[in-house]
Amino acid sequence: MGTVLEVKELSKKYPKKENFAVEKISFSVEEGEIFALIGPNGAGKTTTIRMISTLIQATEGDALVAGHSIIKEPDKVRECITYLPDEAGAYKTMTGQKYLEFMAGLFAKDSDMLNKYVERGKAICGLGDRLNEKIGGYSRGMIRKLLLARAVMTEPKLAIMDEATSGLDVINALEIRKMIKALAKEHNMSFLLSSHNMLEIEYVSDRVGIMTGGKLMVVGRIDELKERYQAANLEEVFERVVKNNEVR
Amino acid sequence: MKFGNLLKKELRELITVQALVSMIFTMVLLIVMGQIMGGAMEEGFDTSKITLCNQDDSKFTAAVLEKVDNSEDNDINYVELQSDDYAAEMERLGIKSLVIIPQGYGESITEKHEPAPVKFVSVFQSGGITSSIGSISASDVIGEIETVCTDEVLLKNYGLSDDEISLIRAPMQTVEYTVNNGKIAEVSPSALGAIYMMQSMIAPFAIFFLLLMASQMIMTAISTEKIDKTLETLLSAPVSRMSVLGAKMLAAVITALLNALFMIVGFVFYIVGMMGTAVNEITINAGPNTIDVPADEVTNVGQAMAELGLALTPMSYVLFALQLFLTIAIGLAVSLILGAMATDVKSVQTLTIPIMVAVMIPFFITMLTDVNSMSAGIKLIVYAIPFTHTYTALTNLMNGDMLMYWIGLAYQIIFFAVCMFLAVRMFTTDRLFTMSFAAGKKKTFGKKDQAAPEEQ
Repeated sequence: MGTVLEVKELSKKYPKKENFAVEKISFSVEEGEIFALIGPNGAGKTTTIRMISTLIQATEGDALVAGHSIIKEPDKVRECITYLPDEAGAYKTMTGQKYLEFMAGLFAKDSDMLNKYVERGKAICGLGDRLNEKIGGYSRGMIRKLLLARAVMTEPKLAIMDEATSGLDVINALEIRKMIKALAKEHNMSFLLSSHNMLEIEYVSDRVGIMTGGKLMVVGRIDELKERYQAANLEEVFERVVKNNEVR
Repeated sequence: MKFGNLLKKELRELITVQALVSMIFTMVLLIVMGQIMGGAMEEGFDTSKITLCNQDDSKFTAAVLEKVDNSEDNDINYVELQSDDYAAEMERLGIKSLVIIPQGYGESITEKHEPAPVKFVSVFQSGGITSSIGSISASDVIGEIETVCTDEVLLKNYGLSDDEISLIRAPMQTVEYTVNNGKIAEVSPSALGAIYMMQSMIAPFAIFFLLLMASQMIMTAISTEKIDKTLETLLSAPVSRMSVLGAKMLAAVITALLNALFMIVGFVFYIVGMMGTAVNEITINAGPNTIDVPADEVTNVGQAMAELGLALTPMSYVLFALQLFLTIAIGLAVSLILGAMATDVKSVQTLTIPIMVAVMIPFFITMLTDVNSMSAGIKLIVYAIPFTHTYTALTNLMNGDMLMYWIGLAYQIIFFAVCMFLAVRMFTTDRLFTMSFAAGKKKTFGKKDQAAPEEQ
């Protein structure tokens, strides 16, 4: 198993701000692994994800995605990742089918590859004939499924998802969690997730990193962390790290 | 392939069925308005609509009316009045204007040698500019009656021939010349001005609509992407930011040009429909005589414009197109920067205001006055708005004022370069995601917390 993502002392400081939004964080994600960043609002999760997705520039440090630097080779990095932002929308005037075709067209090198991606996307989202309808008429759950299918149809080395199941009902959220687990297991795809939902993280993730105040306080497997903190669940670990600044 | 994919997507977003319907509707609306206005003006100018009541039984009046009636231009509808209540009579007859020659008119002129009244009654109409045309036509007929009366009196009393009367009426013929930039042509400056204005007024309208449409489109396109977070998805895909930016701008230009095409076609038909009638009837006051400029003479005015260097050459069109393109590009670059700051629909509307103001101020100023005639301070402010140079470009090219044209073009190139530098810088840095403007308050670098703008 190789390392898909290696974050090395990555920092971000926004202009006119005194403190670092993200300060010297380091962690790695292995091939086929589901890694989750958890933390309270303003912890720096989205900033970290955006830096790795090459959307914003790091102030210090670096991250390597499949060996490519986000600073020096952002174009190469974007070929290896997909990013699903929190509360993201899709083009309302397009049909679901056209949306998948359009996004696949940005990754595919030829028409065969494009068709392969689209077919895979159609199968994953499970929207059937509704794919021929305009996205403007989709429910929130349908849009999220479509976006998730878009994010994984190209089989990226690293799929980055910010609140993958936000706004979804229990059944839809469960389907998506199962889908993520299956993709990691069967297709050896790596995931970097961010979430507030401890139950979801506990169910889906292999390892977690707990962030607060722009710093990565603790990293480890969930069962390890529970043992280390003598906690019954991840939520308890989270509380002790974030509220009590307890680092073990 | 990727750029084509992006461009196709942008065009699909901008050129929707609703957008096409809107474009066609605007064009049809303009055409129909032109036809309505033209029809109203034609009806107003048509002297056959003149209704006359002759209450005088003198031979003199009969002879005058026979002459007026025989004129090819006049077709008088004679009516009899049953009472002196003109309002009731006009309502009964269903007419809007009436000329009345009262009893004793002929006798007053021929026997008493005193001027006699001719009554002209018309219904007041407040339905726009065409409502006054009917009375202009009636006044023309009254003027003709007066002329024929004079002829009859002179002929009868002094035994003058038609030629002698013509000579007395017009002892001289004015030949008018107009000078422009050291060139001279035999044309009335008033006639020239009328045609010049008709030609040059189309361009500012086109620029005005083109700019507003293109700016709003790119602003909506970029802000919607940002608000819906589709921009983050797009920019994390293996496609360069410049391709995304370029596709958006090119799609906006194509859509704006398509909009402008429909708009211009409609506008030209509007002008032709409305002014077509008016051109045939343009009467330009030129001293003691009046000169009518019928349609065939418009061509002569066109020749005179060419002689005076006021006509547009193919090179002028190329130069004007160049400046028009730069103008759209500036509008797009500015809109792109503003659009990227939007955080919601309300802020998009607010951010449109600076563009609208910058487009409208020079539009109205150049429509109403000559910028160069303004005070130095105001002139400087107006010329600082890059769009002013586009509005004045056509006039500068028509007048052969190339120095002003090139200065305007150079200023626009510099302005565009600065705007593009800022737009590209914004698009290729964090600012695209960190800059934000919420309607009512400006926020930069930081939204919910210290960690990151838009941090969840």
